[in-house]
Amino acid sequence: MAGVLIRMKLAVLRNSMTGPRAAQMITGGLVGLALAAGVLLLAGQHYPVAELRFDLVAAALAVWTAGWLLGPALFGGGDETLRPEHFALHSFTHRALATGLAATAFVGVAPVVTLVALAALVVAGVTAGLGPAAVAVGVLAAVLQLGGTVLASKLVTALLGQVMRSRTGAALAGFVSAALLAGTHSGWVLSPLVVEALRTGFPPAFSAWVHALPSGWGLTAVRAAGRGDWLTTAAALAGLAALGVACLAGWSVLLRRRLTTRRASGRPVRASADRWVRGPVTAVAARELRTWTRDLLRFHLACFALGYAMVFCLLPLAVGAPVFLPWTGLLFALWTAAVSANLYGEDGTELWGKLMIPGAARHDVRGRQLGWLLVAAPPTLVLTIAFTALSGQYALWPWPAALVPALLGGGAGVTVLVSVLRPVPMADPHRRGGNLLDNGTDFTQVLLVLILTAACAAPAFFAVRLGPVWAGPVVGVVSGAALAWLLGRVAAAVLGRTAPELLHLLRTGSRPARRRPSLPLVPPRVTAAHRVRPQRPDAWLERLGLDLAPAGRRAYVIVSLTLCWVPLVAQGVVPALMLSGGAAERSWFLALHVPDGLRWPVIAVMIALGLVLLVTGLATGLYYLAKSRVRAAG
Amino acid sequence: MRGHPPALRLAGLSKTFGPKRAVDALDLEVPDGSFFGLVGPNGAGKTTSLSMAIGLLRPDAGRAEIFGVDVWADAPAAKRLIGVLPDGLALPERLTGRELLRFTGLLRGMDRADVDRRADELLAVLDLDGAGRTLVMEYSTGMRKKIGLATALLHAPRLLVLDEPLEAVDPVSAATIKVILRRYVEGGGTVVLSSHVMAVVEQLCDHVAVIASGRVVAAGPLAAVRGGLSLEERFVSLVGGQLPEVGELTWLAS
Repeated sequence: MAGVLIRMKLAVLRNSMTGPRAAQMITGGLVGLALAAGVLLLAGQHYPVAELRFDLVAAALAVWTAGWLLGPALFGGGDETLRPEHFALHSFTHRALATGLAATAFVGVAPVVTLVALAALVVAGVTAGLGPAAVAVGVLAAVLQLGGTVLASKLVTALLGQVMRSRTGAALAGFVSAALLAGTHSGWVLSPLVVEALRTGFPPAFSAWVHALPSGWGLTAVRAAGRGDWLTTAAALAGLAALGVACLAGWSVLLRRRLTTRRASGRPVRASADRWVRGPVTAVAARELRTWTRDLLRFHLACFALGYAMVFCLLPLAVGAPVFLPWTGLLFALWTAAVSANLYGEDGTELWGKLMIPGAARHDVRGRQLGWLLVAAPPTLVLTIAFTALSGQYALWPWPAALVPALLGGGAGVTVLVSVLRPVPMADPHRRGGNLLDNGTDFTQVLLVLILTAACAAPAFFAVRLGPVWAGPVVGVVSGAALAWLLGRVAAAVLGRTAPELLHLLRTGSRPARRRPSLPLVPPRVTAAHRVRPQRPDAWLERLGLDLAPAGRRAYVIVSLTLCWVPLVAQGVVPALMLSGGAAERSWFLALHVPDGLRWPVIAVMIALGLVLLVTGLATGLYYLAKSRVRAAG
Repeated sequence: MRGHPPALRLAGLSKTFGPKRAVDALDLEVPDGSFFGLVGPNGAGKTTSLSMAIGLLRPDAGRAEIFGVDVWADAPAAKRLIGVLPDGLALPERLTGRELLRFTGLLRGMDRADVDRRADELLAVLDLDGAGRTLVMEYSTGMRKKIGLATALLHAPRLLVLDEPLEAVDPVSAATIKVILRRYVEGGGTVVLSSHVMAVVEQLCDHVAVIASGRVVAAGPLAAVRGGLSLEERFVSLVGGQLPEVGELTWLAS
């Protein structure tokens, strides 16, 4: 049976090797091969400390395996070229079906690329001169480890697939993606540590860990064979084989559950009396609070905001730099605003209910503002106070005292205004798929809100910088309150005036029109019911309007908007703040490592570079967005 | 002021989507106190017309009045008079049925105690009180219709506009809903109901309008529109349908 299934998968792959799909597969394969070549290079290089070769290869394989385990659940739902459901009515046993489908998992680009990377086990054995026996063990270990990795990926993806539909999964996905993004923005703070380790070797604990993980067992077997320690070699190889078998057995159990049971309908929720809910505004706020806890996407985004702030600000502690600690709360508030500015888009067509209630627009906007503050303010205050106390930088108090109220007020205003003015239509909550990351957050919108909310804190910032000590907090509170009131008022007015148009947009979305340019013949209800959910991997490109951009420009927009923050904020604004505050913590700020006279010029260059990346990236993105909207309309 | 304005009056209502004219200068009058059925094939413009009539979709041209109040000129006054159950639109999905009723009532400015009392009664009558801890998101299609009807009734409107209220509702619940609607009309309320199930319309309604290609092709008291035929026969003859040719798939019977 495995043979038939493999031929089926090959046929499906062959048939899908057209156009963008093929380009995607080839690009993925090439990137994978480049990474695999990097692992081989690590294995084959010369090192000042002999131990380094094995530590680096073990670490690289650990990361590689983590990619297999977490990647599918986080970024694509796993290899479902052949869906088990298609075979559910055939007369196979579940174990046979699981074995057959597991065999097909070894067919494809990713396993081949992984095998190339695992050849590092052989290369390491050869370059370290461990002898022919060790090299032979390396070949066997590479094959066994490939089996273990692919099967473990199957098992973990299936497990996560079940967990992801719960709040635990939403939180997990939020923290992991936050850690990845924050890591790319502030990860190089760790570079001194790595540079040091590359000279003198990693600490023994690190070395022990990367070898003890299953991803290091192959390497352990090779090294043991080199020493003639056959017992360890046999144990490590047997361990890899046993792991593969165990994962297959586990996956087969999950597969049977998947094919023979249906997801239980949602667990009952706790009903509370809400004594504080008395009028229209508190009713909306209470409803918003429930959305934050009950809607997986919102919960996921809240966890993302918290995770980003924590990782970004705590990571420098690894090199002994507590400079970011007092700002953790502010960063949390900023990100919470950025991820919650699609309030109407997320709620979908339920807007009709508000339209039917006279005067509901104003109450709805004010209630959502109150709800946002109830969610964002307590963690912001706790994080700010606790981490300032931890870092001991009490002298900084005018900054948070001014910026916290300014940012919270600004956030409460900007989120509702952007929600009304620039909603991103999404499938209605009860029609959404299970994959949280499929519900793509709009990148442009997040950027827009980050910039606007940060700009709301500008008056408070200048008041602290230029005014007497009491000016900052006073301006912060006043400007925060004024912005929340004013922007909310504008949002309510716009909503009251254009609610039918907003509902029409949320009902029909712009995407179906773009997808079938010649067929807007169906009335809105039909379109909404058949709305294509964003499930294709490149759907988010379309949402950004980037599907029309040539590959180079597309890459530029994504890279520039992802990385512009490093020169702009991390190497520009932050060291500027530190220099003006008189702090001398050099850490990883380039500007603080150059002679005094060059500090401000370096900061200026960094900020300019960041702005150029930001503006050109944004402009290119918006150009193609406009172009795709024009095409959709025409 | 007119002496006795109709519950709903649509005059010259039009809407175009791209190249398609979904509703084409539609005129309709729903008498006060009537149980009015709106029938038509899929895509005839029923939902689009009703959306414009209640203020959810801005018409390209024409007027919609509820008890003489222009829906698009004085929306708050018109909307106080109606309760709506749309088809295929979301509800606040992450609330339980009871929370949905409570928050909707409070948003309407009703008194908390009053809202809770009415919500209890509605949930009990519609047999939804057992689902007190279930989110609307997890409701079956029939339960969604029932909770939608409850929110439409909560503020005791004078006109109910219901889009496919009985679709996918089980027979027991459907019977309950029919009793509630009949009592509502007997008590002086007006119901406008769209459906493509002729039997439902024939059973419930005293007035009917047939819509095809965005226009009203027949309207009036049920007996007058039927003209001695069954509503289904009359409907097929009005919208010009035809039966399929049978004779293939012979192997299927063997």
